[in-house]
Amino acid sequence: MATLTSPPPPVAEPTTGTSAAAPRRRPRWSRVAFHVAVGVAVAVWLLPILWMTVLALSDNLALQRNSQTLVPLGFTLDNIVGELRTSLIPRWFFNSVVVTGITTVGTVLTSALAGYAFGRLNFRFKKPLFILTLAGLMVPREAMFIPLYLMFATTDQLNSYQALSMPRIALPLGVFIMTQFFKAVPAEMEEAARLDGAGHWRTFFQVMLPLAKPAMAALAIFAFVQSWNDYLWPLVVGTNPQFYTLTVGLAQQQASFEAARSLGDLMARGVLGSLPLVVVFLLFQRHLVRGITLGSGEK
Amino acid sequence: MVSSTTSSPPTAPLDTPTPRPARASAPARHDARTAAVFLAPFLLLFVVFILFPVFQAVAMSFFDWDLLTQSATDFGLDNYVRMLGGTGLTWSLTAMASWRIVLLAVVAGLAWAARRGRVAPRTAVLTSVPLLLLVVALGITPGPGGQWNDPRFWAALQHTVEFTVVATPLLVVGGLAMALLVNRKGRGSSFYRTAFFLPYVLPVSVVTLIWIYLLNPDRGLVAWAMQAIGLDTVDFLNQPTTALPAVILTTVWWTVGFTMILFLAGLQDIEPSLYEAASLDGAGRWESFRHITVPGLKRVTVLVVVSQVIASFQIFGQVYLMTRGGPGDSSLVLIQHVYESGIRDSALGYASALSLVLLVVILVVSLVQLKLLRSEES
Repeated sequence: MATLTSPPPPVAEPTTGTSAAAPRRRPRWSRVAFHVAVGVAVAVWLLPILWMTVLALSDNLALQRNSQTLVPLGFTLDNIVGELRTSLIPRWFFNSVVVTGITTVGTVLTSALAGYAFGRLNFRFKKPLFILTLAGLMVPREAMFIPLYLMFATTDQLNSYQALSMPRIALPLGVFIMTQFFKAVPAEMEEAARLDGAGHWRTFFQVMLPLAKPAMAALAIFAFVQSWNDYLWPLVVGTNPQFYTLTVGLAQQQASFEAARSLGDLMARGVLGSLPLVVVFLLFQRHLVRGITLGSGEK
Repeated sequence: MVSSTTSSPPTAPLDTPTPRPARASAPARHDARTAAVFLAPFLLLFVVFILFPVFQAVAMSFFDWDLLTQSATDFGLDNYVRMLGGTGLTWSLTAMASWRIVLLAVVAGLAWAARRGRVAPRTAVLTSVPLLLLVVALGITPGPGGQWNDPRFWAALQHTVEFTVVATPLLVVGGLAMALLVNRKGRGSSFYRTAFFLPYVLPVSVVTLIWIYLLNPDRGLVAWAMQAIGLDTVDFLNQPTTALPAVILTTVWWTVGFTMILFLAGLQDIEPSLYEAASLDGAGRWESFRHITVPGLKRVTVLVVVSQVIASFQIFGQVYLMTRGGPGDSSLVLIQHVYESGIRDSALGYASALSLVLLVVILVVSLVQLKLLRSEES
């Protein structure tokens, strides 16, 4: 079974330093020094995010005089409340949820179905079709947007949810992962279902899908992150601000003079835009990490 | 967004790849119909939105395909001439000298490694020949009075390669260092991991928002820190020499957590008993690292390098949002050129030809990866 790549379950004593790289227990001062050093590194690493949050909670006028600060100047929630009230952020958030939802569910479903067929069924042209799917792994989806754009522009479907989500559903990598998974399920599981008189459909839904839950969860998270943070394609097909996704919407007028005068509002948008995925990440850390490892082909 | 559409060799996620039972309990004809239904949704979307666009792009690249008039005219190689050609081209020994010297150094290194037996001679020759051809090809340059037909393409190609060549090692080495740092049990390390990974979940537009202002010479923390230690402030994003490095720095901050996670997975796949055995044999930490960790991470390193090269070649969001390719064209990258040629200037045929350059590069990188991993398995 794939090793858990996520943080291991919290251990009672956090300083039992038995890492793989250093099997020996090190002296106490060395451990303290290590934690201090890494602690400082972490603080510096997260400084940009902290700064964004501080500015988002600061008064706009105060920021015009000085923005080089690590504590909120004239603490206020006005920026955040104001952005939620007057901007299109709620709309963009909704768009992102719809697009990401369709993409994620679609990817997991189509991958699981196709993976079952490739991994478990016998049919003609199985091998060539599978090789075709593998060849699809090599197509840079990011780069091939011109023909897709033409397709949606000529059918007058720019600024639509289908344009934003449809091209991202088929994921050869997902099919590959699910195929590998279903191939590895012991034949006995299927035999048992067969003896009960289950056909392929019932076997798939009642035996295989429940077994595949962890793999599907990881795949779902992978598809979710990819879709939520996608920038180029939504930028290309969303020309009407009503159809921006959150990622595209937040990018508008970032460096403009107007925006620079209200740095607090700008950073408030940044905070609001990051929150959904940060929350998802902190809640589903383990799955997310597994999804990424899976998605890169490591597992 | 870092797209991880890397190919990977067929290896089972589970350790027990059981071949499909030969005793087919259902007749094959029945399977065929079921299979068709199971495969249909994926194959349909796959063919329409992934495979067809590739062929369509190839076809479009031969036409002057205008978006506004919806017309495809002038079948021919015009787009390729525009992309690759120029007037008054000559061959010069000194053009792109620094690049060519680096390439020659790589070839020399390969030859040395082959003599020492570290690299198979066949591999060395197969790698050196294309590199040497490249060294020769890089000498082509417009002579006095001559000009490339599209200087922006060459600028974009150059910056994309520069970005890839600089960012990939930083992400690989940085990710590995971080993984080694946090690869231990305990609550502390688990927290560090989360912290280092956190930037990766931010949308690209938020990352660029933060860094545009962090690097701002009047308002950012970087300028503040530089002043504090007595340096002059620099307007990083508006200087031709620092614009691309600033974008690279931002990208490393944003995505190095991703490579860290991959290396962590690789580290945890190494048998702990190997370290114990080495420790009993009196091996120090450096020897353990050199002889157990490094070989154990070979596979994951190939995957990380390839996925980062592929992602780097498709860099767009950070550059577009932070510098718009500027100042001048000093940080223009390929996808931005595709985007502007196709969407802004409506020259879809030319944009397709440009995007095929990326397709070819990524195909080559993927095939090299397959070859590397296969040679490792055998």
